[in-house]
Amino acid sequence: MANDNPVGAQRTKWVDYSRCIGCESCEAICKFLYGLPRIQMTESDEGLAFPLYCHHCEHPMCAKACPVGAIEKDEATGAVYHDPARCRGCKAMKCMQACPFGAIYHAGGVVPVTKCDLCRDRARVGLGPACMEICPCEAIHFVTREELLNLKTREASTAQKLVMKQIRQMRGQK
Amino acid sequence: MRTRMNFGLFRDKPGPRNGRSVAIAGAGPSGLSAAGYLACRGYAVTVYDKMPKPGGLLYFGIPDFRLPVERTEAAAELLAANYGVAFRMRTKIVGQPGEARDEGDEFRTEELLLTDLRAAHDAVILCTGSWRSRRMGIPGEELPEVLSGLEYLFPLRGAVCGPEACVSPALGRKVVVIGGGLSAMDAAQCALRSGAERVTMLYRRTIDEAPAGPYEIGLLQDCGMIWKELAMPLRILGREHVEGVEFLQCALGEPDESGRRCPLPQDGSNQILEADMVISAVGELPTLPLAERLEVSKVRKGASPWPRMTMMEGVFVAGDALTGPSKIGWAITGGLEAARSLEQWLNHTQGGR
Ligand SMILES: Cc1cc2nc3c(=O)[nH]c(=O)nc-3n(C[C@H](O)[C@H](O)[C@H](O)COP(=O)(O)OP(=O)(O)OC[C@H]3O[C@@H](n4cnc5c(N)ncnc54)[C@H](O)[C@@H]3O)c2cc1C
Ligand code: SF4
Ligand code: SF4
Repeated sequence: MANDNPVGAQRTKWVDYSRCIGCESCEAICKFLYGLPRIQMTESDEGLAFPLYCHHCEHPMCAKACPVGAIEKDEATGAVYHDPARCRGCKAMKCMQACPFGAIYHAGGVVPVTKCDLCRDRARVGLGPACMEICPCEAIHFVTREELLNLKTREASTAQKLVMKQIRQMRGQK
Repeated sequence: MRTRMNFGLFRDKPGPRNGRSVAIAGAGPSGLSAAGYLACRGYAVTVYDKMPKPGGLLYFGIPDFRLPVERTEAAAELLAANYGVAFRMRTKIVGQPGEARDEGDEFRTEELLLTDLRAAHDAVILCTGSWRSRRMGIPGEELPEVLSGLEYLFPLRGAVCGPEACVSPALGRKVVVIGGGLSAMDAAQCALRSGAERVTMLYRRTIDEAPAGPYEIGLLQDCGMIWKELAMPLRILGREHVEGVEFLQCALGEPDESGRRCPLPQDGSNQILEADMVISAVGELPTLPLAERLEVSKVRKGASPWPRMTMMEGVFVAGDALTGPSKIGWAITGGLEAARSLEQWLNHTQGGR
């Protein structure tokens, strides 16, 4: 397979917003597989559509914010997992407030939140994140942090800044 | 590291054969995602498309600088090579032989009746998109330099289509694009890139109502496109060739049934714009063979006998063929949901597995 995961290497998901055309395919496949999408589209005031997604941060703010330790970074894969069994469904939803990328979503059930797990079940059988495979623009990457450095073009950084400005604004409004 | 696009993303290889066969008409994103899903579930899948290459509008509509065409091409090849999906290109599925002409029909070399297709398979999904261009219905529309958005965009894929295709005729011309949707934007951008002298876009409502949104329109204005809103084309001027476009200036009225505010033409506000080429991208309509028998309006309303099944038993519908022009993501959702519904229907009628 073209998407082999080098054993032991921590890989993360990264969206090159300069290639993204806002087509919603990533959200669509995630929704089809998991019911509630863990990568969700949003739109800037001017109408630029882009997906919000979990960056599986090196120092995840969501994990720090959770009072019961329901969110943890798996040191083997680098993925940041939310454990519904441990999540107590606190009303404050501190993880959601803490995430700088708007990547934790209301689930509206007994377990109130959901987030990307880099398609954990698929990874067990050697498959990569579904959104990466369906994106028609090759905007979604699943890479090591070293590989990521090579992907960050000037266009990508400019687009990322635009998106971050929008996310900060949305978070401020809440 | 490069990652490929994979419509068969559910497994690394096709599922164990279940003895059932499905035909999919239309190889756009809805058809390809349905094909990928069903192949992974063990179905023998054949995809029919009238164009010379699979991909639908990913291949023939959306320009290369926004969506890399080789990625779509590789995705279809992967479905064929790795998931055993069969492709029958240049084959149009029709209700009756020689039915109404849609965009791209000139590429077909074969026609197959929908009824025959249905008889040869356990079920069929129609993913035939929206390939009939809406007409403006104004005088002068028949002039040779008046093209629909799709008519203008197809040939830009050039060589792959063979000798039927021409190169972009926008070079050095004064182009007027009519519309405010995604195909209008892409046509305008292609015209700018291929050296048009001037590109003006006329839209009936304002930038805030335009389906493409102020962001995209702003980007094109930065590239030199002239944006004229609240402009309603009245006629295309010229005897044998396009010489100009006459339009009326409008004001915004009350919201209509779609919730958008209607443009109201202002008397005596006629203006003339010089032009030697017009691209009318005012929308496309769903193209379905045997539309009168399928009654897809029932599917839209959720009043069909089985979710996403038309009034013809075992014939399902998905993507822009059901919804009208939409988005890639919606088409993918539609294709997948139709495939799942088809599977449940076959389990129900032929015994579950
Ligand atoms: C210029 C342009 C730009 C766009 N830009 C974007 C964008 O940026 N983002 C976005 O999300 N969406 C965009 N869209 C919309 C998007 O391309 C469509 O919503 C999507 O491709 C629909 O997928 P589909 O599978 O339903 O149909 P299509 O992609 O239209 O595919 C239909 C297929 O059916 C075939 N076919 C039709 N009739 C028959 C028949 N009778 N027999 C056999 N085959 C037949 C056609 O050849 C075609 O291959 C754009 C559309 C256009 C035109
Ligand atoms: S949910 Fe947010 S804070 Fe937590 S790892 Fe993902 S991007 Fe980082
Ligand atoms: S699938 Fe790719 S191009 Fe489409 S919205 Fe998601 S990241 Fe952007």
